[in-house]
This record gives sequence, structure tokens and C-alpha cells, in this order.
Amino acid sequence: MTWKKVCDVGDVGANSVKIFDVEGVNVLVTNYGGGFRVIPPICPHMEEPLAESGIVANCVLTCSKHLWAWDMRTLEKLGETEKPLKTYETREQDGALFVNMVEELVYEFESEDEFDDDFFSQS
Amino acid sequence: MTSLAKVERLMPREASPMDDLVTVTVQTPSGAFAFPCENGEALLHAGLRAGVSLPYECATGTCGSCRGRLMTGDVDIGWEDSPALAKLKREKGDILLCQTKAKSDCLVRIAAKIEQVSREDAPGKLKGIIFDSRKLTHDVIEFSVKLSRPMTFEAGQFALISTPSVTGARAYSMVNYDTKTDRIVFLVKRKSGGGFCDWLFSAMVDGAEIDVYGPLGRATFDTSEDKDLIIIAGGSGIAGMMAILERATRSNYFKSHMGHVFFGVPTLQDGFYLDELAKYVDKAQGGLNVTLALSNEPPPQASHPNYDGIQLASGFVHTAMASSMTGRYQNALGYLAGPPPMVDAALRVLISEGQLSPQAIRYDKFG
Repeated sequence: MTWKKVCDVGDVGANSVKIFDVEGVNVLVTNYGGGFRVIPPICPHMEEPLAESGIVANCVLTCSKHLWAWDMRTLEKLGETEKPLKTYETREQDGALFVNMVEELVYEFESEDEFDDDFFSQS
Repeated sequence: MTSLAKVERLMPREASPMDDLVTVTVQTPSGAFAFPCENGEALLHAGLRAGVSLPYECATGTCGSCRGRLMTGDVDIGWEDSPALAKLKREKGDILLCQTKAKSDCLVRIAAKIEQVSREDAPGKLKGIIFDSRKLTHDVIEFSVKLSRPMTFEAGQFALISTPSVTGARAYSMVNYDTKTDRIVFLVKRKSGGGFCDWLFSAMVDGAEIDVYGPLGRATFDTSEDKDLIIIAGGSGIAGMMAILERATRSNYFKSHMGHVFFGVPTLQDGFYLDELAKYVDKAQGGLNVTLALSNEPPPQASHPNYDGIQLASGFVHTAMASSMTGRYQNALGYLAGPPPMVDAALRVLISEGQLSPQAIRYDKFG
């Protein structure tokens, strides 16, 4: 367990997102009204910066670029969204938000696994 | 892996000289598909033409949605300065299907599920001749194109047009709506440094021959939607919305559903298609509201001096929409088109205040 403080819970208002530097790693805090999710700061679709393109409403995070969206309560993919969000384990304590950050979470864009033979053998 | 037999079965043959045709095979999570491609034709165009539902949004090298990875074959990657190409891993063979032209048989991998659809509904290559070009305002021009053969498209779709005089293709939405029509109408706003615009505005373009590829785009309207329509357009973004309004009006859609059009222009003088919009308002008999939002001057009165049916608002179009639509977003479909900052701002209003789901919002994702 490597719990690190991200921000105070009051730093990110309901239905908004904000980017924070946690010991050199950028993370995006989303306050979806019913709680917080801490995620990498880019959309898993095309690396759009979610601090700018992310919209939170109705417990849903939507990237305004191509309308990929996730239910932040369940992390369910909505609509045409094809990839899941990665999330840091989160804890609230004494009015502050902590994440369990062992290493930075990154999305594999255009990685070999997307183009390897196993991927293409599935139909 | 899909068998070779399936690939061959899917391969359509065309009556072109075989020397000019190469075969493009795409490997996808939903199997392998092969289609013929003319030498020098963009892979995306050849595939869609053959009914292979390759992924795309803008089809003009900006969005990156048509990314693929070239495994074998000789290609010309096309537009070197394409905004989307800069984001790809060139060293691994990543290409944009909309820009890349085949020079030999090719094998390409695509990480999207695709399917074979009817070639009847597929976009095609057409020739066209420009006629009836006319200025609507000081920086907006409308022109018609007589097509070499009829095209059927859905309201809200666009086509790519190109001319030997200017490098590259441009995407424009069809303003008119008709089935199997050999006349399509486009709208162009003059932008400084826009090669195609400069060509349209500077020369006598009537009679000029152009290449047309289409129809394309999924931001469409069909009368079976059964939802109210919120239409937000900035400047020439109104083009595809006119087709949607025509389609809806013809089918009496606004007798049973509401339509709310917000059309943003800088000043009263910049408004156009007001005759047409006023007629749609009349015909809808209360089912359609049209608001012209003026960003650069306060409106002289509540409705347009020459058109009672067109309301005026001050400020940006998304602001006008937000203040007018409060509490009226239920069961609505949102259509957006215009400059990217306008589309982004309007999206935020529809999602945050209107609580529209992504599936209820339609726009061509050119960014």
C-alpha cells in the first residue's frame, strides 16, 4: 500500500474535474456528486486531456471530443465507448483524498496487444 | 483468423481495367475483408465504396478515427501535414485510411469491428459540375452541383469534394434533402487561407468540374426518431440542419414533435436562409421555434425586422440555447454543427444542463 494525498475533498466541486500532481504523476480527480474517482488525466480513446474535454453530469463522465462516456458509480461504459477507465484506489480521510499509487496508470495506445495475433483471432 | 475463402467471397469485382486495381485486405477483430482499390485511390474510399464499414469520422485527415497499421504493401501516405498523422506511430506503419493511397496490394490491420454492408447504400465516387453559385452574405457562398448520376443520402450527411485546382478534399454537408437526386447543394463560409474557399470566391466556378465522394457521416435525422429536436448551428454549420429541417417538414414531423433551432451569426446582416427558415416555422404551425443569436451586436428587437417568425437573441448561440431551453430538454435529440469552440460549448450545455445522453447528441466529429 502506498497511500498518497491528492487534494482536500473541498478542492473539487460536485460535477467537475480537476488535475493534480501527485509526486510527479498527473491524475484527474472527478467529483461525480456521489463520490470521487481518481483517474489518469487523458481519455483512453485518443489521448484527449480530460481536464479540458471531460464533462461530469448525472454521475457520468463524458469526453466531449467523441462522446465516450462512463458511469462513474459502476465504471460501466456507455454508448459507443470501447475502452474502460483505469482508476486509482481512493480513500477519504480527515477531509482529504488519498490514492493508493504503486505506479502511474497508463493506457496502452496503439500498443502491440491491440494489434497482436491473439486480438485478431477473436471474432 | 478468417479463411481465405471468406475473403474471396467478399471481394467484389468491378468493370475497370485490372492493371489499375489492387486488392486491399483488412484484418479486424471481426474478421478479414478484401476489396478492390484503384491505383491512387484512398483506402477508406475504396473500402466504403465496396460496402466495408471502415471506421471514420471526418474523412479529411483531422480526427484520426480511421487509423490502421500497414503490414505489407506499397502506399503513398498522402497528406504529410495532416493533424491526425502527427499523433500516429509512423515507425510502426500506422496510417490514416482516408489519406493513404494504395500503390500495390496491401494488408492493413484495423482495431475496430467492421462489417460488410450493402453496396447499394455505400458511398460512391461521382463527377459533378458546379452551377447556380451565389453569395448569401459577404462571406458565405452557396453552390449547386449537378451529379453524373443520382445520389441518395440522409438528412445531415456530407460529401467530399475536390478539384484539380486545389490540393486535397473538403467535407461539406448537403443543404438540400432529396432521394435519388442528381442535384446537391453546398454552403461554404470564406476562411482566410482556405484554398478551396479562395478558389470558390475568386473564380467564376459555375461550369467547373469537381469530384464528389459521398454520402458520408452519421449525424443524421430520420423521421422515426420520435424525439424533439434541438438544433444548434454556427454560421455555415446550418447547412446540414437545413436538410434536417426539410426532411422533418416534409414528413410533418413538427406536428407531433417540437423543434428548436438556434442559429448563431455575428450580426443581423450575417443571417441567411431566413426565407427558408421562416417558411419552415410557418408550416410547423407552432411546432418549430427559430432563434437567430447575434454574437457581435445587440438585437434591435425581439423578432427579426423582416421575419416575424424568427426570434432574435444576443450573445453566443449556446448561451441563447441555454437560456431558452431550461426545463425543456426531456426526450430531445441534439444536433450540433459549427466552429469547434461553439460545438464544445453547446455540448457542455446539452450534457450538463440538459442531461442528454451521448446517444442523443449528434455531430460530425471533425476534431
